[in-house]
Order: sequence, then C-alpha cells, then structure tokens
Amino acid sequence: MTGSGAGTEADEATAVSLEDVRKTYQLGEPVHALDGVDLSIPRGSYTAIMGPSGSGKSTLMNLVGCLDTPTEGTVVVDGADVAALTDRERTALRGTTVGFVFQTFNLMPRLTALENVALPQLFQGVDRGERRERARDLLERVGLGDRTDHLPKELSGGQRQRVALARALVNDPAIVLADEPSGNLDTETEAEVLDLFGEFHDAGTTLVVVTHERHVAERAERIVHLLDGRIERIEELGSAGDPGEPAEPADGGREREDR
Amino acid sequence: MKPLESLRLSWRSIRGHKLRSALTTLGIVIGIAAVIAFVTLGASLQAGIVGDISPDDQRNVYGWAADPDTEGGPLAGAQPVVSGDDLETIEDFEAVDAAYGYAPIQSQAISNGDERVAQGDGVIATGPSYVREDSLREGRQFEQGEREAVLNPAAAGRFEDNVSVGDEIAITTLGGQSTTAEVVGITDSNEGLSPFEGFESSPRLYVPTDPYYLEQADAAGLDGGEGPIGPSEGADGVAANGSEETNEAAGSERTGETNAGTDGSDVRFLAVVVEAPSADSTDVDAAREAAVDYLESDDSDASEFLGDELAMTFQTSAELLQQLEDVLELLQSFIVGIAAISLLVGSIGIANIMLVSVTERTREIGIMKAVGAQNRDVLGLFLAEAVILGMVGAILGTALGLVAGYLGAWYVDLPLVYPYEYVALAVAVGLLVGILSGLYPAWRAARTDPIDALRYE
Repeated sequence: MTGSGAGTEADEATAVSLEDVRKTYQLGEPVHALDGVDLSIPRGSYTAIMGPSGSGKSTLMNLVGCLDTPTEGTVVVDGADVAALTDRERTALRGTTVGFVFQTFNLMPRLTALENVALPQLFQGVDRGERRERARDLLERVGLGDRTDHLPKELSGGQRQRVALARALVNDPAIVLADEPSGNLDTETEAEVLDLFGEFHDAGTTLVVVTHERHVAERAERIVHLLDGRIERIEELGSAGDPGEPAEPADGGREREDR
Repeated sequence: MKPLESLRLSWRSIRGHKLRSALTTLGIVIGIAAVIAFVTLGASLQAGIVGDISPDDQRNVYGWAADPDTEGGPLAGAQPVVSGDDLETIEDFEAVDAAYGYAPIQSQAISNGDERVAQGDGVIATGPSYVREDSLREGRQFEQGEREAVLNPAAAGRFEDNVSVGDEIAITTLGGQSTTAEVVGITDSNEGLSPFEGFESSPRLYVPTDPYYLEQADAAGLDGGEGPIGPSEGADGVAANGSEETNEAAGSERTGETNAGTDGSDVRFLAVVVEAPSADSTDVDAAREAAVDYLESDDSDASEFLGDELAMTFQTSAELLQQLEDVLELLQSFIVGIAAISLLVGSIGIANIMLVSVTERTREIGIMKAVGAQNRDVLGLFLAEAVILGMVGAILGTALGLVAGYLGAWYVDLPLVYPYEYVALAVAVGLLVGILSGLYPAWRAARTDPIDALRYE
C-alpha cells in the first residue's frame, strides 16, 4: 500500500505504482518536474493529488496516464512497466486501462454524446452495435439517457463532464484520471459531478483526481500533496466522497510524511 | 481501427466543413472534368474522321507535289506539275488500275432550268472512278470527255424540285461563263469522298476533268494557275482536244497577255489520284512506287519541275488521316497537360486544407490519442479525408467531363465515343491525388504529441 516496494504479489491489488520516479525536462537548463516520487494507488481507491502550480501534478498525471515515460524510475500501470513498452503498446495500454476526465471536457465537437462515449472502443476495434449499446448504458448511468444524440455544444458544462466521465469508463479501465474535473463548473454542478464520482468509486472504480481545491480533494480517501516535484505528505481521510463529514484539518494526526 | 470506421469518421469531418470541402474539391473537379471532356471530344473526333474511310478508298493513293519540308495535311504547299500525258502513262502501268487528276472548279452558281443556286466551291473535276460504284445511290459514274456530272444528295436537294438522274444542269464558272452537264448519278452520302475534299458534309458536284478543268485552265489562260512557270508555251490547242464541243472560254479572253488556251494534254494538275488494283498494302505500295518512279524519271512532264525544291508525295487516306490524328493527339496532349496543371493545383489545395485542418484539430487529435488512438489510426483518418476529397472530386469531375464531352460532340455533330479507360484513370488519379496530398498532413497529425495537443488552445 505504501509507495515503495510494490512487489509482484501486490500487483493484483495495485492499479498503479511509481518507484523513485524522476522526470526531467530540458528547457535550456534541466527542470526536475518530478524528483523521486514513490506512490502506490490500490485498486478501488480514491486518491486526490494537490499541489501548487509547477509542483509536478500534470507530469504525474501524464506518467500515470501512460502519456509520458519517466526519465528515471519505474511506473507500473495495471502490471505493465510503462517505460519498457513501445509507443504502440503504451497507447494500447492507455486505451484499455486508463480513463481521462479533463477540466475542459475535451469532447469531440462533431460527435454526439453517444459517439463520444463510444470513441475509445472505436480504437479497440469493438463492433459498432456493441459500442453503441455500451455507450448508451453508461450515459444512462450518468443520467444522460435522453441526451445521447446531442452534440457537445448542445449540452451544459455539467452534462459535458458527465459525458466525459462516461467515456472514461467505457473500457472498464483500471484507473480513471481526472484533471481538475470541476474546474470549469459552477458550485452546484460541481457537487453533482463529484457526487457521480463518488458513486462510481463506491461501485469499485479506481479514481485519481488532480485538483487545487481543498473541498474537491476532501471527497477522496487520501490526499497526496506535491511540492517541487516531490511528495510533501500523504493525508489519509475518512470515508471518501462524503462532504458532510469533513476530514481532519490538513495538519491533523493522520497525515504522514513521505520521505 | 477498421477502415470503414475511418471513412465514416472522416466523412463526418468533411461534412463538418461543407463549404471548405466543396471549394477544395472544386479544383480536382475542374481538372478531371477538363481532361475527360477533351479526351471524350478527341476520341469522338477521331471516330468521326476515321469512321468515314470506306474500304474502297483504301486502294487509292493521293499525290501532289510540294516542298519536301512542307508540313501539313493533304495538298499543303502543292504545286501543279503532273500533266494529263503523265496520268495517261501512269494509268497504263500494270500496277495501276486508274490514274486521274483532281481539281476544284471555280464555280459561282448551279442552275436547274430556271432555278439558280449559288455554289462557290464543291464542284470537283476528277476521274470517273473517283466516285466509286458502291457510293452511288442511283445512276452511274460520269465518263471522261462527256458533259456529265454526279451530284451528292445535298447538292441535288438544293433545288425546289430535286435534281434527278437525266436532268440537265448548268454550271456558272467564276468567270461568268455557263456550261452544261447532264446528271448521270447521285451519291449516297454528303460526306467527302477523299481527304482532298475533307470529310465534312456539304453539297458537291463531281464532273470529269475533261472538259471542265481543261476549260477552266483555258479560260484563265494559264496552264497551271500559280505554277512555278510563267505563261505556258502551249497555245491555241484547246480546239484540238477532240471531246470538246464548245469552248466558251476561248471566246472570252479578258487580258491581253493571255492570248491562248491550253492543250489538254499539257494542263497540269495540282493533285492526282492513283488507284491500285486492290486495297492490299503490297498492291498499294506497288502502284505508288510505279507512279513516283515514272514521275521522277526524265520521261515525265512533271520531272521538269521536280527536284530538291519540289517532290511528289503519295499517300493513302489512312496515312493522311494518321497525320491528322497525330496533330489531334498533339493538341489533345497539350490540353490534357494544361488540365493536369489544374489537377496539380487542386492537389496542392487539398494538401493545404488538410494542413490547416490538422492544426485546427490538434486538440481533437490529442483527445483521440489519449483515449487510445494509435498513430496509424490518426494517419488513416486524415488520409481517408484527403482521399475522400480527391475521389469525390474525381467522380464529380468525371461526370461533369462526360456531360461536357457529350454536349460538345453533339454540338459538333460527332459520333459519341466515351473513353472508358480514361474514366478509370480519372478515378485512379483522384485516389492518387488524395493520397499524395494527404500523406504529409496525415503524417504530421499522426506524430502529434498527445500531451502538447491536449494543452493546445
């Protein structure tokens, strides 16, 4: 469960594990976006990642989401070492084991809600009929059963984010990554969408939410605080997804220094 | 990702930008349509001309004397050098069935009884077998030395009461003299009988060179029009030509220097026709060789003028047509070349639009890659889009080109020939243009980094 030492026997229970991960960008001078990160994300967990701009949140996202490879260290996603994969294998892994939810929704503008949800399966070669059935199911689960044929521009922000969530779930991924999922939503819609996240977590989905909003992070089981490319501390919270029971303050007893 | 799905998704993006896609396609449409239209017209034109050679015509060799360097069709740069005596000699050769001159009569009008119609050209003086037996609808061939004529249906139909076999018509020459002819035959077609006439339909009269051409030469007071010699030494000999009953021209000399008619045997012909016994190419070549050998030998009258500057050309209809076809083909290649430039511009247009499209949809590419699209999926999508644009352009262009070609052929009154191999070619070109112009933009799209693409605003 802790960051270090995720052995093979732990793979079954671990969706993602990072070991001493470093990511360095060469922008004139080397920039250490991640500087030795150990983290393990158990299956079915709900993790929030917090940190100021430039703390390495996005880089961590990209690594966990198989969009990028680490400069050093290992990232194991659903049992596969990302750095050892070819581009094509990495893309295939991303398509089947990772679901993305973005701040700006990132739906395909000319595809209907249903087609957007079905898009990941299109690239997996799933049959059209099967794809549409699965997408319709998921849209119903996120409460958009009556909006399947609408284009993104015909949907509200909250509805769009629910379509995006449905899309992230369509391949039954090992992990769903949400980058500021409520950043573009008003308070009320935000609550609705986050409630939905909670529901899917309860149903067994592994969630990682990147945010800089404390109240969004508090819905998770634990909060990973990043600072300057390192994990500053990991804050364990009570039952996830229940805003009615505020967690302990950030400097409370359950926080734990990581290195 | 399945190819059908790529096509479906690409078709979506194309329909998402209707005007842009339509304008992009237009370049290809115009290029392909131009090629198809001109090729259709060219093929129809060729069929129209080649289809007119009758098998019998194929044993004829058409000859004229011209500077060997002269380029062009029948009679280009021709000078009158072959005399009547020459023709008689050639006709006696074993390899030759018949030899006779060919000359247009400069006429003004034709009258049938009181009715008079203008006829500026289309009166042709030649030998009897020039009008072949099988091309006569009724009557017979005219005879040399008789005042007889064969008309084609268009000429016969110009009078209120159609002229028929047995009627007597009068031909008014350019000089104003009138000469009579008995109609002895009507042909079955209004098209020209040889490359000398051209093959287009028009009213025509065929008359024997003797007396009509001889009279004309006499009336002009020259024995060869603009021949390389001055006024001939021949004089006062017309009456000696036994078959001539009247020589109106003889009494109507208008210029002082022209003081004489010409001896029939000394009249020079601009063009001659030599008939081989059969259409077999060895026979045709033998007849041609016999004629050329004789004319170039010192025995002939023609040899007087022949030399480095002037040589006899003998060609069959097929050979003459080949020259015409060569010219047509050259013209067609030229136009197709211009159309190909339009295609090139069109494909640059597609490439340009695809590049814009790739940039514009960077974020979409990022999304697709994030949710598991492989590089080749993205490549396939954009390539499919370019290929659809090219193919749609090619198909529309082909349809438009065929319609334009059809209208053109119909307007010029040609038999319509669709060049099907070019239709297949056009579609292939559309495919190729799509692939070539889409390859680089699609490759750029495929290698877009998803992280950058997702950040792209």
